[in-house]
Amino acid sequence: MSAFPAPPLVDIRDLSVSFPQHDGVVQAVRGVTLHVDTGESIGIVGESGSGKSVSCMAVLRLLRSPPARIEATALSLGGVDMISADNRQIADTRGRVAAMIFQDPMTAFDPVFTIGQQIVETIRVHRAVSKAEARSEAQTLLTRVEIRNPASILDSFPHQLSGGMLQRAMIAMALSCRPQILFADEPTTALDVTVQAQILQLIKQLQAEFGMGLIMVTHDLGVVAETVDRVVVMYGGKVMEQAPVQDIFDSPAHPYTRALLASMPGQGGGRQRLIEIPGASPNPANPPTGCPFHPRCTLADAQCAAAMPAMSQTGPSRQAACWKLA
Amino acid sequence: MIPFILRRLFSVSVTFVIVSILIFTMMHSIPGGPFDAGDMPLPPEVRARLNERYGLDQSLVTQYINYMGGVLRFDFGIPFQSPGETVLELLGRAWVPSLVLGGLGVLIGTPLGILLGIAAALRRNTWIDYLASAVATLGLTIPVFVTSMIMILVFAVWLNWVPASGWGAPDKWILPIAAYATIPMATYARYTRSAMLDTLNKPFVTVLRAKGLSETRIIYQHVLRNSAIPMVTVFLPMFIGTATGSIFVEAIFRVPGLGAYFVSSIRTRDYPLEMALMLMLTVMFCLAYLISDILYAWLNPRIRAGGRKG
Repeated sequence: MSAFPAPPLVDIRDLSVSFPQHDGVVQAVRGVTLHVDTGESIGIVGESGSGKSVSCMAVLRLLRSPPARIEATALSLGGVDMISADNRQIADTRGRVAAMIFQDPMTAFDPVFTIGQQIVETIRVHRAVSKAEARSEAQTLLTRVEIRNPASILDSFPHQLSGGMLQRAMIAMALSCRPQILFADEPTTALDVTVQAQILQLIKQLQAEFGMGLIMVTHDLGVVAETVDRVVVMYGGKVMEQAPVQDIFDSPAHPYTRALLASMPGQGGGRQRLIEIPGASPNPANPPTGCPFHPRCTLADAQCAAAMPAMSQTGPSRQAACWKLA
Repeated sequence: MIPFILRRLFSVSVTFVIVSILIFTMMHSIPGGPFDAGDMPLPPEVRARLNERYGLDQSLVTQYINYMGGVLRFDFGIPFQSPGETVLELLGRAWVPSLVLGGLGVLIGTPLGILLGIAAALRRNTWIDYLASAVATLGLTIPVFVTSMIMILVFAVWLNWVPASGWGAPDKWILPIAAYATIPMATYARYTRSAMLDTLNKPFVTVLRAKGLSETRIIYQHVLRNSAIPMVTVFLPMFIGTATGSIFVEAIFRVPGLGAYFVSSIRTRDYPLEMALMLMLTVMFCLAYLISDILYAWLNPRIRAGGRKG
């Protein structure tokens, strides 16, 4: 009998999230399995409605439940079982073990408190330090996220700062309790294009410095190419493929991943028509039978419509769920 | 903040002058006068002397200038209804019951309403929420004179716990104050609930949860403070209430407050008292707006910081 290997930092097994509505059930996530190891960075890629954000919110228990129904055979963060945990354990885990940064920094801060007050508050919820110590730590953190005048930013209210500045402050706030894993939910979508690259660079750099795990949720393959080690492609509430980032770009196994790559702008350079994936993403209240991608897939046949294929190994460290794997 | 208040005080005095002109004109445009034959059978020469004594024979402009000159010296004249005292003495006497009634009503009703609203918002779609909403809706839709009569019927007539009307001893205060308190209670219950729910749905609340704050702390530290911003606007009518009491509540419970004089001074053409009451209301309104604005700025950094954003 050998000792059990250390549990992964993030351990999600067979996660389902549904929202009962008056006229049916919206199945946002349908059996997602996902692991993140210490210091590893992964990207969850998918279109809106693929269940990528909901999965992250579910792990942190940020979905109001009810109405949300969360089921999983495992759902743990840094060894804390987030399903059986009580409210105090959940609150203690959030921010300390796992922190999250959100899409729109302009609405992410409480408008009536200064940035400094909100970072200090976060530090002091998790650690017994004085206000003065927490403030000086907050100032150091703002320097770490490359804010040049940290003292004056600490005393600013959210409405006085730009989106890029606020996103930096939010990253500083998320890092203030040295989390082991950082969830970044489309952290650059609401920002100016010029700022996006800087923020991604910053996240990547801090992830390495702090030795944290990272889950980058995005609809943009370009974002994951620059920031993560491994990519998880989601569609219709299910994982379609996961592979090291280089493999995703070099040899995508799943037809959906290939379609996503083909629809990325600027592949060939010069003026060319953008390629789109025909059809619309599945309705989560009434998902297609079998593989959720089959109605839009050029390779689909009767088998695809009948049953969802299991995840199969397509390489040493990659899997895909498709009947048509070469 | 100080220049802001000074600016506002200046605009209050401009408003004061404009309102005084409007009211003075409207008041005198009502047909008849205080010493008309219909009300007081006086010989014509006596009536002429009375009109002369009170300056009513002069032109409206002269009367207005004389009156406002008096106001500047805090001389509001003699009420025709009660010539034995000055207008100020009458106000000082009659305002006390109104202030007690309105003030205690607001002081009791407001926290009750806020608590009810918080409970309703936090326990949405439970019996607490339904109860709070029922109380708020009934309180806002049933006129206060109906509430008052129901309360008299139940607590004074059937249960015989408290006197039905009057003022004087504090046990007589209970019913009118309770009746009056239903207004701020219902108003605040409704506003607090909707302001809380509005704030709870803001994205920053999710961020606060993701930071690891406890739900209690999120509510009391963040949600309440944000919800208080829209609630400040409700403060205005409540403030006026403390100034005037409620005309209806005072009439039903026979409270010797200011309420009755609002009606009687118009009916009897009691120009000095009517002017004084209206000017008092004007000042109360302006003060209420001023205090609302100060509170609003104090609670809301987006207003407070003004043009500081670059």
